[in-house]
Amino acid sequence: MADCQETLNELERFLDSELSPVRVAEVIGHLKGCSDCQGAYEFHSELRTIIKTKAQNEDLPKGFLDRLLGCFGDEVLGAD
Amino acid sequence: MGARENFTTDAMQYAPQLFATAMRMTRNRADAEDLVQETFLKGWRAFGSYQEGTNLRAWLFRIMTNTFINKYNAQQRRPQESELDDVEELFLFRRMGAFDQSKINQSAEDQMFQLFTDDEVKNAIEALPETFRIPVLLSDVDGFTYKEIAEMLDIPIGTVMSRLHRGRKAMQKMLYEYAKDRGLVDESLLDPQD
Repeated sequence: MADCQETLNELERFLDSELSPVRVAEVIGHLKGCSDCQGAYEFHSELRTIIKTKAQNEDLPKGFLDRLLGCFGDEVLGAD
Repeated sequence: MGARENFTTDAMQYAPQLFATAMRMTRNRADAEDLVQETFLKGWRAFGSYQEGTNLRAWLFRIMTNTFINKYNAQQRRPQESELDDVEELFLFRRMGAFDQSKINQSAEDQMFQLFTDDEVKNAIEALPETFRIPVLLSDVDGFTYKEIAEMLDIPIGTVMSRLHRGRKAMQKMLYEYAKDRGLVDESLLDPQD
Protein backbone atom coordinates (compact mmCIF):
# COMPACT_ATOMS: atom_id res chain seq x y z
CA MET A 1 0.00 0.00 0.00
CA ALA A 2 1.42 3.36 -1.04
CA ASP A 3 1.73 6.11 1.58
CA CYS A 4 0.70 9.76 1.15
CA GLN A 5 4.07 11.00 -0.09
CA GLU A 6 4.42 8.20 -2.64
CA THR A 7 0.88 8.77 -3.82
CA LEU A 8 1.34 12.53 -4.23
CA ASN A 9 4.64 11.96 -6.02
CA GLU A 10 2.90 9.69 -8.51
CA LEU A 11 -0.27 11.73 -8.87
CA GLU A 12 0.93 13.50 -12.00
CA ARG A 13 1.80 10.26 -13.81
CA PHE A 14 -1.42 8.72 -12.52
CA LEU A 15 -3.41 11.59 -14.07
CA ASP A 16 -1.37 11.20 -17.25
CA SER A 17 -2.30 7.48 -17.38
CA GLU A 18 1.40 6.67 -17.45
CA LEU A 19 1.69 4.35 -14.43
CA SER A 20 1.97 0.58 -14.64
CA PRO A 21 -1.19 -1.37 -13.72
CA VAL A 22 0.45 -2.42 -10.44
CA ARG A 23 1.20 1.19 -9.46
CA VAL A 24 -2.26 2.31 -10.58
CA ALA A 25 -3.80 -0.27 -8.25
CA GLU A 26 -1.59 0.95 -5.38
CA VAL A 27 -2.50 4.59 -5.94
CA ILE A 28 -6.22 3.78 -6.17
CA GLY A 29 -5.91 1.64 -3.04
CA HIS A 30 -4.42 4.59 -1.15
CA LEU A 31 -6.89 7.16 -2.52
CA LYS A 32 -9.83 5.05 -1.34
CA GLY A 33 -8.65 5.20 2.24
CA CYS A 34 -7.19 8.73 2.38
CA SER A 35 -9.48 11.73 2.02
CA ASP A 36 -6.55 14.20 1.90
CA CYS A 37 -4.95 12.51 -1.10
CA GLN A 38 -8.38 11.93 -2.63
CA GLY A 39 -8.93 15.71 -2.37
CA ALA A 40 -5.60 16.41 -4.06
CA TYR A 41 -6.48 13.95 -6.81
CA GLU A 42 -9.91 15.48 -7.41
CA PHE A 43 -8.47 18.99 -7.45
CA HIS A 44 -5.82 18.19 -10.04
CA SER A 45 -8.19 16.12 -12.12
CA GLU A 46 -10.63 19.04 -12.27
CA LEU A 47 -7.82 21.49 -13.01
CA ARG A 48 -6.79 19.32 -15.98
CA THR A 49 -10.34 19.42 -17.32
CA ILE A 50 -10.49 23.19 -16.90
CA ILE A 51 -7.17 23.76 -18.66
CA LYS A 52 -8.03 21.42 -21.52
CA THR A 53 -11.51 22.84 -22.04
CA LYS A 54 -10.55 26.51 -21.81
CA ALA A 55 -7.34 26.22 -23.82
CA GLN A 56 -9.27 24.56 -26.65
CA ASN A 57 -12.09 27.07 -26.67
CA GLU A 58 -11.24 28.85 -29.89
CA ASP A 59 -13.49 30.04 -32.71
CA LEU A 60 -12.21 29.16 -36.16
CA PRO A 61 -11.51 32.13 -38.45
CA LYS A 62 -14.21 32.78 -41.02
CA GLY A 63 -13.74 30.64 -44.14
CA PHE A 64 -10.85 28.79 -42.52
CA LEU A 65 -12.12 25.27 -43.22
CA ASP A 66 -12.68 26.14 -46.89
CA ARG A 67 -9.14 27.49 -47.14
CA LEU A 68 -7.86 24.28 -45.55
CA LEU A 69 -9.77 22.17 -48.06
CA GLY A 70 -7.90 24.14 -50.71
CA CYS A 71 -4.69 22.60 -49.36
CA PHE A 72 -5.84 19.27 -50.77
CA GLY A 73 -6.04 20.48 -54.37
CA ASP A 74 -4.41 18.45 -57.16
CA GLU A 75 -2.21 21.35 -58.12
CA VAL A 76 -0.41 20.95 -54.85
CA LEU A 77 0.78 17.46 -55.68
CA GLY A 78 4.39 17.32 -56.67
CA ALA A 79 4.74 21.03 -56.08
CA ASP A 80 7.78 20.44 -53.95
CA MET B 1 -8.26 7.79 -54.88
CA GLY B 2 -10.34 6.32 -52.07
CA ALA B 3 -7.41 6.45 -49.68
CA ARG B 4 -6.79 10.10 -50.53
CA GLU B 5 -10.42 10.98 -49.99
CA ASN B 6 -10.36 9.23 -46.63
CA PHE B 7 -7.23 11.12 -45.74
CA THR B 8 -8.84 14.46 -46.56
CA THR B 9 -11.98 13.75 -44.56
CA ASP B 10 -10.07 12.29 -41.64
CA ALA B 11 -7.56 15.14 -41.54
CA MET B 12 -10.27 17.83 -41.62
CA GLN B 13 -11.86 16.56 -38.42
CA TYR B 14 -8.69 17.54 -36.55
CA ALA B 15 -8.64 21.11 -37.89
CA PRO B 16 -10.28 22.70 -34.80
CA GLN B 17 -7.87 20.94 -32.39
CA LEU B 18 -4.88 21.80 -34.54
CA PHE B 19 -5.99 25.43 -34.76
CA ALA B 20 -6.50 25.79 -30.98
CA THR B 21 -3.04 24.34 -30.33
CA ALA B 22 -1.54 26.51 -33.08
CA MET B 23 -3.07 29.56 -31.34
CA ARG B 24 -1.34 28.65 -28.07
CA MET B 25 1.93 27.92 -29.90
CA THR B 26 2.10 31.07 -32.02
CA ARG B 27 0.02 33.34 -29.71
CA ASN B 28 -1.31 34.99 -32.83
CA ARG B 29 -4.38 34.32 -34.97
CA ALA B 30 -2.84 34.98 -38.38
CA ASP B 31 0.26 32.89 -37.60
CA ALA B 32 -1.91 30.10 -36.18
CA GLU B 33 -3.95 29.99 -39.38
CA ASP B 34 -0.77 29.89 -41.49
CA LEU B 35 0.68 27.15 -39.31
CA VAL B 36 -2.34 24.87 -39.70
CA GLN B 37 -2.50 25.51 -43.45
CA GLU B 38 1.18 24.69 -43.78
CA THR B 39 0.61 21.53 -41.76
CA PHE B 40 -2.15 20.42 -44.12
CA LEU B 41 -0.08 21.24 -47.20
CA LYS B 42 2.87 19.26 -45.87
CA GLY B 43 0.60 16.41 -44.83
CA TRP B 44 -0.96 16.28 -48.29
CA ARG B 45 2.42 16.32 -50.00
CA ALA B 46 3.77 13.64 -47.67
CA PHE B 47 0.67 11.51 -48.18
CA GLY B 48 2.81 8.84 -49.85
CA SER B 49 4.71 8.26 -46.62
CA TYR B 50 1.54 8.08 -44.55
CA GLN B 51 0.34 4.55 -44.00
CA GLU B 52 -3.35 4.09 -43.51
CA GLY B 53 -4.10 2.77 -40.08
CA THR B 54 -1.32 4.73 -38.38
CA ASN B 55 -2.36 7.45 -36.00
CA LEU B 56 -3.28 10.31 -38.33
CA ARG B 57 -3.93 12.72 -35.48
CA ALA B 58 -0.47 12.18 -33.96
CA TRP B 59 1.06 12.36 -37.44
CA LEU B 60 -0.54 15.77 -38.12
CA PHE B 61 0.39 17.16 -34.70
CA ARG B 62 3.94 15.98 -35.26
CA ILE B 63 4.10 17.81 -38.58
CA MET B 64 2.64 20.94 -37.01
CA THR B 65 4.96 20.86 -33.99
CA ASN B 66 8.04 20.46 -36.15
CA THR B 67 6.88 23.14 -38.56
CA PHE B 68 6.40 25.51 -35.64
CA ILE B 69 9.79 24.70 -34.12
CA ASN B 70 11.62 25.13 -37.43
CA LYS B 71 9.73 28.22 -38.52
CA TYR B 72 10.06 30.09 -35.26
CA ASN B 73 13.42 28.64 -34.26
CA ALA B 74 11.76 27.47 -31.11
CA GLN B 75 14.43 25.98 -28.95
CA GLN B 76 13.70 22.48 -27.78
CA ARG B 77 16.95 20.76 -27.04
CA ARG B 78 18.61 22.95 -24.48
CA PRO B 79 16.19 24.81 -22.23
CA GLN B 80 17.61 27.58 -20.16
CA GLU B 81 17.15 26.43 -16.62
CA SER B 82 16.71 30.04 -15.59
CA GLU B 83 13.71 30.38 -17.90
CA LEU B 84 11.33 29.17 -15.22
CA ASP B 85 11.32 29.79 -11.51
CA ASP B 86 11.15 26.68 -9.43
CA VAL B 87 7.66 26.43 -7.95
CA GLU B 88 6.83 24.34 -4.90
CA GLU B 89 4.87 21.10 -5.24
CA LEU B 90 1.05 21.26 -5.22
CA PHE B 91 1.31 25.05 -5.44
CA LEU B 92 -2.28 25.87 -6.31
CA PHE B 93 -3.88 23.07 -4.28
CA ARG B 94 -2.16 24.30 -1.13
CA ARG B 95 -3.53 27.79 -1.72
CA MET B 96 -7.13 27.00 -2.49
CA GLY B 97 -8.03 27.99 1.07
CA ALA B 98 -7.03 31.56 0.26
CA PHE B 99 -9.78 32.02 -2.29
CA ASP B 100 -12.29 34.37 -0.77
CA GLN B 101 -15.59 32.51 -1.03
CA SER B 102 -17.64 35.68 -0.60
CA LYS B 103 -16.25 37.00 -3.89
CA ILE B 104 -16.99 33.87 -5.86
CA ASN B 105 -20.69 33.63 -6.64
CA GLN B 106 -20.92 30.11 -7.93
CA SER B 107 -22.27 26.82 -6.77
CA ALA B 108 -19.68 24.52 -5.25
CA GLU B 109 -19.61 22.25 -8.29
CA ASP B 110 -18.52 24.70 -10.94
CA GLN B 111 -16.69 27.04 -8.58
CA MET B 112 -13.25 26.11 -9.80
CA PHE B 113 -14.38 26.10 -13.40
CA GLN B 114 -15.58 29.70 -13.03
CA LEU B 115 -12.59 30.75 -10.96
CA PHE B 116 -10.25 31.05 -13.91
CA THR B 117 -11.37 32.69 -17.13
CA ASP B 118 -10.65 31.25 -20.57
CA ASP B 119 -8.19 34.09 -21.20
CA GLU B 120 -6.34 33.43 -17.95
CA VAL B 121 -5.89 29.75 -18.79
CA LYS B 122 -4.75 30.64 -22.31
CA ASN B 123 -2.37 33.31 -21.01
CA ALA B 124 -0.93 30.97 -18.37
CA ILE B 125 -0.03 28.48 -21.12
CA GLU B 126 1.19 31.11 -23.56
CA ALA B 127 3.43 32.71 -20.93
CA LEU B 128 5.47 29.49 -20.61
CA PRO B 129 8.79 29.43 -22.48
CA GLU B 130 8.50 27.27 -25.62
CA THR B 131 10.55 24.41 -24.18
CA PHE B 132 7.86 23.94 -21.54
CA ARG B 133 4.84 25.25 -23.43
CA ILE B 134 4.96 22.71 -26.25
CA PRO B 135 5.09 19.57 -24.05
CA VAL B 136 2.34 21.03 -21.80
CA LEU B 137 0.16 21.74 -24.83
CA LEU B 138 0.70 18.31 -26.35
CA SER B 139 -0.09 16.59 -23.05
CA ASP B 140 -2.64 18.70 -21.16
CA VAL B 141 -4.54 20.07 -24.14
CA ASP B 142 -4.09 17.40 -26.80
CA GLY B 143 -3.72 14.31 -24.62
CA PHE B 144 -0.64 12.73 -26.18
CA THR B 145 1.39 10.20 -24.20
CA TYR B 146 4.92 10.83 -22.91
CA LYS B 147 6.21 8.48 -25.62
CA GLU B 148 4.36 10.28 -28.41
CA ILE B 149 5.59 13.68 -27.18
CA ALA B 150 9.16 12.39 -26.85
CA GLU B 151 9.01 11.19 -30.46
CA MET B 152 7.47 14.43 -31.74
CA LEU B 153 10.09 16.58 -30.04
CA ASP B 154 12.97 14.10 -30.38
CA ILE B 155 13.82 14.30 -26.69
CA PRO B 156 14.01 11.54 -24.03
CA ILE B 157 10.85 10.57 -22.12
CA GLY B 158 12.47 11.68 -18.85
CA THR B 159 12.94 15.14 -20.33
CA VAL B 160 9.27 15.24 -21.34
CA MET B 161 8.27 14.37 -17.79
CA SER B 162 10.47 16.97 -16.14
CA ARG B 163 9.35 19.71 -18.54
CA LEU B 164 5.70 18.82 -17.97
CA HIS B 165 6.22 18.86 -14.21
CA ARG B 166 7.95 22.23 -14.14
CA GLY B 167 5.70 23.75 -16.78
CA ARG B 168 2.52 22.72 -14.99
CA LYS B 169 3.71 24.13 -11.67
CA ALA B 170 4.64 27.43 -13.31
CA MET B 171 1.22 27.52 -14.95
CA GLN B 172 -0.49 26.98 -11.59
CA LYS B 173 1.48 29.83 -10.10
CA MET B 174 0.41 32.12 -12.92
CA LEU B 175 -3.24 31.16 -12.48
CA TYR B 176 -2.93 31.98 -8.80
CA GLU B 177 -1.34 35.35 -9.56
CA TYR B 178 -4.13 36.19 -12.03
CA ALA B 179 -6.76 35.38 -9.38
CA LYS B 180 -4.83 37.49 -6.89
CA ASP B 181 -4.77 40.39 -9.35
CA ARG B 182 -8.53 40.14 -9.64
CA GLY B 183 -8.89 40.37 -5.87
CA LEU B 184 -10.18 36.82 -5.41
CA VAL B 185 -7.46 35.86 -2.96
CA ASP B 186 -7.14 36.71 0.70
CA GLU B 187 -3.79 35.36 1.80
CA SER B 188 -4.61 35.96 5.46
CA LEU B 189 -6.94 32.97 5.14
CA LEU B 190 -3.99 30.65 4.50
CA ASP B 191 -2.95 28.41 7.33
CA PRO B 192 0.53 29.72 8.28
CA GLN B 193 1.95 26.17 8.36
CA ASP B 194 1.12 25.79 4.68
